Amino acid sequence: MNRVETTAPQPAPLPAESTLRMPMGLLGFERIKEYFLLADPAEEPFLWLQVPHDANLAFLVIAPQPLLPDYKPELSAEDVAFLGLASAADASLLSIVTIRGPNQATLNLKGPIVMNRRTLVAKQVIPTNAAQFSVQHPLPVVQP
Amino acid sequence: MLILSRRLNESIVIDGRITVKIVRVDGEVVKLGIAAPLDVPVHRQEIYEEIQKNNQEALTQGRAAVSALPKVPRPHSNVETKA
Repeated sequence: MNRVETTAPQPAPLPAESTLRMPMGLLGFERIKEYFLLADPAEEPFLWLQVPHDANLAFLVIAPQPLLPDYKPELSAEDVAFLGLASAADASLLSIVTIRGPNQATLNLKGPIVMNRRTLVAKQVIPTNAAQFSVQHPLPVVQP
Repeated sequence: MLILSRRLNESIVIDGRITVKIVRVDGEVVKLGIAAPLDVPVHRQEIYEEIQKNNQEALTQGRAAVSALPKVPRPHSNVETKA
């Protein structure tokens, strides 16, 4: 099976302040097919996936690889085809962040969001090597 | 629940566009080959449920509801030169 390793470090800034199309939605949220990707310099490196038409629903996300350089999810050929990824440089990775307490959070590394930077189509994928990864990986933090 | 008996290398067809084939039977492990259009998500149930549950936990009541974001290491601090 062809596999594309999304090993490239974030090659360029994420296309923030744009609308992502997620034709399959997030798992459990299949009916929401679009999200606004919002960035605030004061909140870097975090970003928000905001549900359009409902400012009270949002997912906190972060690009995982600058924090976890060894994180190398492998995409199935089906996901590569679905996203229309011609090369690894077209793909951006986002992990969903769950706040667990003060200065404490977890990252979902088992179900990352992969975005085609050219088309702004994204999908929450389950990598072929997902067994190595946790849905509740501790977010590396520094003490204030 | 519809229950069908199938032998090795036999298939079922769902909705005229999804085929599930018994590829291998080895003791308690059955390998299935699933051919479905790209827009049909196919997941192992326990992994689907694990990620679904995490997504539900992660959903916030919006940006204003998160009072303080965690403090993460600056991604490129290791390549910064010190004066």
